Amino acid sequence: MRISLSWLSAYVPVPPPEEVARRLTAVGLEVEAVERIGGALDGVVAARILSAERHPNADKLSVCQVDAGQGAVQVVCGATNWQVGDVVPLATPGTRMPAGHAIGAAKLRGVDSHGMLCSAKELALSEDGSGLLVLPGDAVPGTPVARVLGIEDVVLEVNVTPNRADALSHLGVAREVAAATGASVTCPEPRLAQQSPPASQAVKVTIEAPDRCRRYAARVIEGVRIGPSPAWLRVRLEACGVRSISNVVDATNFVLLERGQPLHAFDLDKVAGGEIVVRMGRPGERMTTLDGVERTLSPDDLVIADRDRASALAGVMGGGDSEISAGTTRVLLESAWFEPTGVRRTARRHGLHTEASHRFERGVDPEGVVAALDRCAAMIAELSGGVVRKGAVDAYPTRRKPVDVVLRWARPAEILGMPVSRREAREVLASLGFELRRTGPRQATFRVPSWRLDVTREEDLVEEIVRLRGYDAIPETLPPVVSDTPAPPRAAVVAERTRQALEAAGFSEAVNFSFVAPADLAPLAPGDGRPGIPLRNPISADLAVMRSSLVPSLLKGLAYNRRQRVEDVRLYEIAATYALPRPGATDDAPAREEQRVAGIAAGRRHPVGWSTAGDPLDFHDLKGALEALLETLGVSGVAFVAGGPPWLHPRSAATLEAGLPGGGRVVLGHAGEVHPRVAGAFELPRGVFAFDLSFEALVEAARLVRGHADVARFPAVLRDLAVVVANEVESRAVLDRVRQEGLVEEVTLFDVYRGAPIPEGKKNLAMAIQYRASDRTLTDAEADLAHGRIVERLRSEVGAELRG
Amino acid sequence: MDLIRDLEALADGARQAIASAADDRALEDLRVRYLGKKGEISAVLRGMGQLPAEDRPRVGEVANRVRDEVEGLLASARRRLDDERLERELQGSRIDVTLPGRRLLPRGNRHPVTRATEEITGIFARLGYEVASGPEIELDWYNFEALNIPADHPARDMQDTFYVDESVLGRPAGQGAVLLRTHTSPIQIRAMRRAGKPPVRVVAPGRVYRSDYDQTHSPMFHQVEGICVGPGITFADLKGTLGAFARAYFGAGTRTRVRPSYFPFVEPGAEVDVSCSLCGGKGERGGGRCGTCKGTGWLEVLGSGMVHPKVLENVGFDPAQVTGFAFGMGVERMAMLKYGIGDLRLFYENDLRFLGQF
Repeated sequence: MRISLSWLSAYVPVPPPEEVARRLTAVGLEVEAVERIGGALDGVVAARILSAERHPNADKLSVCQVDAGQGAVQVVCGATNWQVGDVVPLATPGTRMPAGHAIGAAKLRGVDSHGMLCSAKELALSEDGSGLLVLPGDAVPGTPVARVLGIEDVVLEVNVTPNRADALSHLGVAREVAAATGASVTCPEPRLAQQSPPASQAVKVTIEAPDRCRRYAARVIEGVRIGPSPAWLRVRLEACGVRSISNVVDATNFVLLERGQPLHAFDLDKVAGGEIVVRMGRPGERMTTLDGVERTLSPDDLVIADRDRASALAGVMGGGDSEISAGTTRVLLESAWFEPTGVRRTARRHGLHTEASHRFERGVDPEGVVAALDRCAAMIAELSGGVVRKGAVDAYPTRRKPVDVVLRWARPAEILGMPVSRREAREVLASLGFELRRTGPRQATFRVPSWRLDVTREEDLVEEIVRLRGYDAIPETLPPVVSDTPAPPRAAVVAERTRQALEAAGFSEAVNFSFVAPADLAPLAPGDGRPGIPLRNPISADLAVMRSSLVPSLLKGLAYNRRQRVEDVRLYEIAATYALPRPGATDDAPAREEQRVAGIAAGRRHPVGWSTAGDPLDFHDLKGALEALLETLGVSGVAFVAGGPPWLHPRSAATLEAGLPGGGRVVLGHAGEVHPRVAGAFELPRGVFAFDLSFEALVEAARLVRGHADVARFPAVLRDLAVVVANEVESRAVLDRVRQEGLVEEVTLFDVYRGAPIPEGKKNLAMAIQYRASDRTLTDAEADLAHGRIVERLRSEVGAELRG
Repeated sequence: MDLIRDLEALADGARQAIASAADDRALEDLRVRYLGKKGEISAVLRGMGQLPAEDRPRVGEVANRVRDEVEGLLASARRRLDDERLERELQGSRIDVTLPGRRLLPRGNRHPVTRATEEITGIFARLGYEVASGPEIELDWYNFEALNIPADHPARDMQDTFYVDESVLGRPAGQGAVLLRTHTSPIQIRAMRRAGKPPVRVVAPGRVYRSDYDQTHSPMFHQVEGICVGPGITFADLKGTLGAFARAYFGAGTRTRVRPSYFPFVEPGAEVDVSCSLCGGKGERGGGRCGTCKGTGWLEVLGSGMVHPKVLENVGFDPAQVTGFAFGMGVERMAMLKYGIGDLRLFYENDLRFLGQF
């Protein structure tokens, strides 16, 4: 909310701008900006016309001597609406006019002119360009015109939090300034001249929905002449960002900004039957609001209707039919209290947010309704020459009960951790308008001022006390030490180790939005029923579905980096994927969220360097990274089984299976080359590798505390073995069979060779085998026997031939 | 005693030959020549058989002495050659120490959001807080209602919300809206309900979502939420805890300022500012206004307050018996301040030229 300090100073003594900004922020009304306005008229000063004579060379020009505070100055002038002795604006040489051009000292038809006397239009103050703007006669020559006109002002941009509806006005902010500075507030009392006949003879008010409208008050002003507002009023409104419309509408906006009470002026001659009916919208009912939009009403919309039809969305916006227009002479002025949540629903339903709805949603002062009505009626009469009919119509079916709240004297200290004396509590609350009703040794009862709808319980009083006393006064302590230090959760440890392992393998962590375009998921899951979870109100079509896989985002990250000419890319992400809940899920999470870890790799195996070649990475680079990850997590016995999901290359994909401690196997996820068609869908070339693992399965399978075996005490026997097998035989089939032999401690596959002299369709596997017994020194003869058994097993089971 | 004379002559020749040997090869040849099985000393010793028995010990003694001497000379000559070789190497041309080190695989980097999250939760873990989590697709009750933000409350304007149709999830209508959590605060509700009774001391990091997308807003960002509930927990404890946190995160000299603010789930509510980490709280830097704190010397980093009694009631705690404080912060903002990152979009582009700097 924009608060004008010159306006504010009408109600309370105002400290200098920076000081008042600091004070308001300290009590919870955060001042976000301090803006000085009126600066556009720099260089324009008040000047008294001392004498004038006809221009020697031009009949329509005058040559004036003016006093602008520093002796007589000669200015040539073309206007005629002034007299010698008037005070008028002088744009001194060097002034930049609002229209953009600069004023210089010039010769006009041969006569020197040191500046320019200005009209209101030239100063962008109004459309009136018919003559000079004549200033009040008591203006001191030399004074900046902005100050003379009262448009030199400081405006505070105050961030009023939703609980503080009472501070959405100048009077409300004045109350806070007064409480913070110890000053008191002067509230202007309306000088209302009323004349018979009474308003009740011109208008009848019926509230049909008392739970949505607690109070509806109206006055009638007749003989109104619609016209422009005086400058002072326009300046006030414009300082607060409100456009001037006409004297009557401006008066309602003025009172809104003064007191926080929204008012609405109807053209009474357009209110059918002189009847105001506050009722719910009818099914299919339509009305056109002031913004020119025809709206279909909901039965949940509260409307202000006349005898025949709806003429305003209550508390939100008036209707075009009963709008004040240039020909209006009789005004029906409304001041009411509408129920906040209902106003909010209507405003949102119709996509409207107005100064009125903003305040009604937050709650206006139900006891301030009539005071605001009287203030506004008096202003309208004064500005438009109208006459206020006698009396207000005040429909207030159920009077609001005042709110009393008990404060136990000990409670502030219990919440704040610092003592608060009774006197202090009483004084602070009194300064904010709380009335002490009863007091005793243990507690006191305070009556909450009617404008503080946010205060309903003891904690609210404590907050009032502490925010005025200042949070700085509270000491800093620490809560008592906890006796139990929680161990980090298992998932956090696994996450940390996973990150370490992947980063060591060259993967950098990516963070992607959880929502993607449906088209991003489609290439990965052709018809597999995991389309993600769509949002009802996505911010854009690209961010419309909660993703069912992390892979598409990573592929897009790869494509992005390639566009930036970064080609060696390894990225990983640990995040949730989203799916429909399992039937009968017991937790009360509405969807199933599974944490996964996924990564992509593309480009070269090692960065090209003076000692490394730039070979492209392949499946086994990815596998090596995953093996290192599994080792870091203590997950052993993971099998890479050939084959994977459709988004991986069918000939270059593996499924990772782990044994569970209690038996059984679990699929950890998949790894392989991204299917060339999927890569193509993301505008990526061949040779992109990816993995996608269930982080939750990793957490389950991880063995965070390692066991150990004793270190071998007896020497080992080493034997090499080279066998030739068919190409289709997986190396695992050979190595597993070697490991079956009990004396084998370790086997290392050190060469895989195809080509002459090995026959076509076959490959040579060369291994180093380490035999060891844990309880004795192994003899060569024992090792030879074991070696022979291995050769025989390989020959008979996988058709291996020993290579000599 | 010709043999003795021969041996002395042999020794003389060996001394000269060994002293002038130029390399290992020459030394080896000399070893074979003198000490080998068919070498000169052996040849002399073979002639001993023809000597009278009484002369043999003397000749044997001399032969042994000569052999020992030749062995010693050969050994020291080898050392001399080794030394000379080493000396030559030490004086030789240097390797190029400026060639880049050999790193087959440069490490990957951790995302700055994760780094900041880990640092923040780590500080609270040391203060005895447990790390908790909760669902991102959340029920209205946890995200709003339980936190004292009823339907049609203007406080809902503070957080533009993404919704998921209940029917999509197979939920019957009327069981409450489903949404993407707008803050990590629903985790505090879940944590208190899970604990069942006080005390509860929990810190909860996570992704949050708001329908707002421009230069300074991202529709997804990260928060860390914390809550400390128990008997006798006061606002002073809040100030002490968050002051300690700010010093741990931003540095020992960091000052904090607490001022009133409003969040529906706390009362009294407070905004916690820390002295600007870039200008040291002076408001100016490099002769101009500090752009990070906009010249104020303060940074808004934390929302906090005493847990609202309605929130305690909503999780079945008795506000007459327990009090507590809660706080929350935006991780991206904390990371931006810590690492001097100026542009929010950098966090989600995953440009390796950016990520590689962390």
